[in-house]
Amino acid sequence: MMVELLLIVAFGGSLLTYVLGKLSSRLRNGFALLNALALVIMIGMLYGQEFERSLPFGFLGIQFSIRMNMLSWFFAATILGIGLLAVLYSFRYMKGKERLDYYYFTLLFINASMLGTVVAGDLLSFFIFWEMMSWSTYLLISLRGGGKAIFAGIKYIIMSLVGSLAMLVAIVSLYTAFGTVDIGELAVHMQSASLGLALLVVILFSITFVIINALWPFHTWLPDAHAEAVSPFSAILSAVLVRKGLYGLFLLMYVILGFSFLDRLAVGAISFSNVLAWIGAITIVFAAFRALLQNDSKRILAWSTVGQGGYMVLGVSVATSMGMAGGTFHILNHCIYIALLFFVAGAIEHRTGGIRDLDSLGGLIKKMPVAFVGGLVGIFGLIGLPLTNGFVSKWLIYKSLILEGRPFLAFAAFLGTWGTILYGYKFIHNIFLGQLPDELRDVKRVPFTMAVPIMVLVVLVFLFGVLPGIPLSVVNQVGTYMGFEPLDLNVWGIPSESGTLNVVNLLAAIAVAGFLVWLLFKTLGRSTRVDQSDNYAAGAAIPRGRYGFTREFYAPLYRIVSPYVKDFPDALFLWIADRTKALGGMTRKIYSGYVGSYVMYIVLFLAALVFVQLTWSPW
Amino acid sequence: MVSPVLLIAVPLGLAFAMPLIALISRRLPRFVPLVACAFNLIVAIRLIPTVLSAPVIQRIGGFSPPFCINLFAGPVGVMFAGLIALAGLVIAIYALSYIRTGPTVRYHMLYMLLLVGATGVVLTGDVFNLFVFFEVLCISSYALVAYFGDRNGLEAAAKYLIQGAVGSALLLMGIGLLYGLFGTLNMADIASRIGSVSDISVFVPLALIVSGLGVEAAIFPLNAWLPDAHSSAPSSISAILSGIAIEVGLYAVVRMIFTVFGATSIFMFLLFLGVLTVLMGELCAFAQTNIKRMLAYSSIGQIGLIVFAFAMASTISLAGGLFQLLTHTLSKALLFLAAGYMIHRSGSMEISSLNGMGRRMPLTSLAFSFGAFSIVGLPPFIGFPSKFLIVRSALEKQQTLFTLLLGFVLLGTLVEGAYFFRVVQAIYFKKSGDEPASRSLAPALPLISMLILAVLIIFVGIYPQPVADALSTAASDLLDRAAYIGSVLR
Repeated sequence: MMVELLLIVAFGGSLLTYVLGKLSSRLRNGFALLNALALVIMIGMLYGQEFERSLPFGFLGIQFSIRMNMLSWFFAATILGIGLLAVLYSFRYMKGKERLDYYYFTLLFINASMLGTVVAGDLLSFFIFWEMMSWSTYLLISLRGGGKAIFAGIKYIIMSLVGSLAMLVAIVSLYTAFGTVDIGELAVHMQSASLGLALLVVILFSITFVIINALWPFHTWLPDAHAEAVSPFSAILSAVLVRKGLYGLFLLMYVILGFSFLDRLAVGAISFSNVLAWIGAITIVFAAFRALLQNDSKRILAWSTVGQGGYMVLGVSVATSMGMAGGTFHILNHCIYIALLFFVAGAIEHRTGGIRDLDSLGGLIKKMPVAFVGGLVGIFGLIGLPLTNGFVSKWLIYKSLILEGRPFLAFAAFLGTWGTILYGYKFIHNIFLGQLPDELRDVKRVPFTMAVPIMVLVVLVFLFGVLPGIPLSVVNQVGTYMGFEPLDLNVWGIPSESGTLNVVNLLAAIAVAGFLVWLLFKTLGRSTRVDQSDNYAAGAAIPRGRYGFTREFYAPLYRIVSPYVKDFPDALFLWIADRTKALGGMTRKIYSGYVGSYVMYIVLFLAALVFVQLTWSPW
Repeated sequence: MVSPVLLIAVPLGLAFAMPLIALISRRLPRFVPLVACAFNLIVAIRLIPTVLSAPVIQRIGGFSPPFCINLFAGPVGVMFAGLIALAGLVIAIYALSYIRTGPTVRYHMLYMLLLVGATGVVLTGDVFNLFVFFEVLCISSYALVAYFGDRNGLEAAAKYLIQGAVGSALLLMGIGLLYGLFGTLNMADIASRIGSVSDISVFVPLALIVSGLGVEAAIFPLNAWLPDAHSSAPSSISAILSGIAIEVGLYAVVRMIFTVFGATSIFMFLLFLGVLTVLMGELCAFAQTNIKRMLAYSSIGQIGLIVFAFAMASTISLAGGLFQLLTHTLSKALLFLAAGYMIHRSGSMEISSLNGMGRRMPLTSLAFSFGAFSIVGLPPFIGFPSKFLIVRSALEKQQTLFTLLLGFVLLGTLVEGAYFFRVVQAIYFKKSGDEPASRSLAPALPLISMLILAVLIIFVGIYPQPVADALSTAASDLLDRAAYIGSVLR
């Protein structure tokens, strides 16, 4: 009963939140938090269970069912965990804004629908939850109003609609072929499926999942949507919603089709996994360069989400235990640090009155220390520095790529990381370091309820980085469920011959290196404290606020790179939209408004019927 | 057992009694449609269990078919009659407060006649009788389109009248030819003899009747009257025209092709016509800036989708088509009703004037969004099961052609999604320019009617099973010619 209860609490809670909001805003906030907390506790209790059960009702003769296993659990846990933190974070962030009842309702509703997609035991209920997730997300992206947010919302929903129509056709094809949409039964039937059907289904599903996972060339909705949404929701979008695409790919590739079938879907070197891997590689490199060109704190993060999705797909498509573990673990890690970074960017936005432009920020390190720590740790995780969680998963992905003899893919992954270092540094520097603009002299600290989620995530980044064995044991179980060999683990890392990873050694090495640097500065350095602006102008007197460190960061790089890194897919999609509109305008001219021509259409129609009959006599 | 004749006779009698009722009190006539529709709804619902097992053949005049005019109350007919009564009832509730100015007595009388015509078309078993009811339906809608008496309305009504008249003339010629060929007007009788004459002599009446009925059914390219008429009419009339009138026209086309002519070879042609209608309608709607014209073009797209489903001619596809028809009636009626009050409030039909409506009229906006999501086919609204059935029937054909055409239809859906989502966004997220964001609700009665539709949209969307079951029985009623002929002429 537990999973049913989970869904009831999730959906019921979102509705009740709305109703309570009409009574009192405190009651609503309290209830929303309690609801999110209850869900986290319930999912915690479901750990390690594995079952599949039919529900007592269905839809047009198709029985609904729900399932719980480590794969579902893993995704459900990330959804609910981030959901809880986002709700807590929202209290202050959203305070004083309009339509809060609606906001909390939609936020919880989206979480509930996402939860539905991962516990659905048949593809039809999966689809229904998926669609509910799509339209409710669309309803929240544009919450802020204004041209950009509206554009982002419409872009998202149209791309998502393309995906869901593709998925609907795929699901119905499976249903007409096998008479069932139950995931477990399909996995059995699929082994005897014809290659044509399998190819159709795989392509259609892949379109859906690639769109929602924002892989090149269908990434174009993501930067707009993530940047324009309110920050707690950006965190949810980036951390968990986008990864529903990977959940779908897992389901498709390893639960429904299975290895042996995937191998059959290959012509020479062109196999499904290879194509996917190269899409991942292109995504990584492309997104890294695009992120470099951004000047908006949330857009940088949004592009980094695109790029990190590439890493996950790379790991997953290698299809070894280690690659799979790396990809899956990276989902969790990315979810932690990107939520952290969006919370930080949101905190900055909140305290500075909505500034996201990196040219006008700077020097906030002393004003907002919590945000600085959060941002720094988040960027460390994103880059994958040792001792942070991102290091472990990226290491696993690199290692598996190298072991499998994929040097070019590994190179793409490295290239992406170098790009990440550059834009990560820009993010930290332009917000926290450099000169504090005069307008930001009296910025306040991060409010407590916003600092709590940030600190929780900071701790998690280090915890999973130092003790990767804990999350990896869960990841191992996910892999085992999908039919991979479990990795050899201990709490500090991976001790086996194929790829040793020991964080203790790393820890020691870093401690020694840090000590040496400290010693060097202590003994040799002779430092004097100077004012920031003295430092900048080498002691010459300059008017304050005239020079900004943070203006036009990486300008030379920008000049070199920007002509080559154009977002062609985006331009293409916009062009299609534009042409469609023009086509509509042209079609409309058929209805000229002149009744004579209308009557002529009727007569012509009759004439056409007669002509067809007399020429080919089909009737 | 109740007699299906009552479905026509009672509203017709009440319609003509309307001027007399108006003599008693000027306020009374507007309640008459309510009474009539409620009566029809009850009768239709009570008939449904009976007709699901066997159709009721009502003879009129005491002779047996083919010598008398008979009513054929099969599952499709009675369900249609029920749907007409339901939509009629809901829209009549709306009109209680929406129609306040102008010749209200005549409005209500014409409204009743429109419903009588529609009910007659779906129940009759006689070709000429069908023509008569069809004319009742059309003429009352010509008049209602011009109800406001403004320039646009009159112009649209005149255009509608001209095209409708051409269509009716073609229809009449077709019927005349049929009578000349077979010496009978009874549908079942014609159907049983249609094989006895040469193909070409059947083709001429078929072409004439399809073109004639196609005008009212809004099949491309016969639908040029629709955008003008639907956008200039009062919103309650737009709702009934979009939700009922064109569907009834489509029913007549389908009944003629499936039952009377049994012309299976024309399906492929209809299939392409359906896809073309979808694409034309949706593309035109995409380019609109006027909300009612947008909804009108969207109706064309929906009709295309229904034609596409019907033309696949399998049990599931017919059930899907009928389901889509139900979806369209409920959702489009809701959209027009909601848009009606939003237009009333903002004073303009431009989509940009709806900016920020979500705050000014929260419930009406919510109703509009429900309708929009439902038309696009998102779960858990009613549009999803119908779209699911149509997609399923197309894929069950297992032919590349059908899959390809389905692709085009879904492309149309995508365009449809784009413009509906655009409007929903404008309603909720764009800031209104001039007016302060004061809240005001639409009056209670229109809200009640929108609420009924919204509840139905959600309820059937979540629990479509009984409707789908009933509709697949209805689908076999349309498909099974022999049973139709047999049950009438036994």
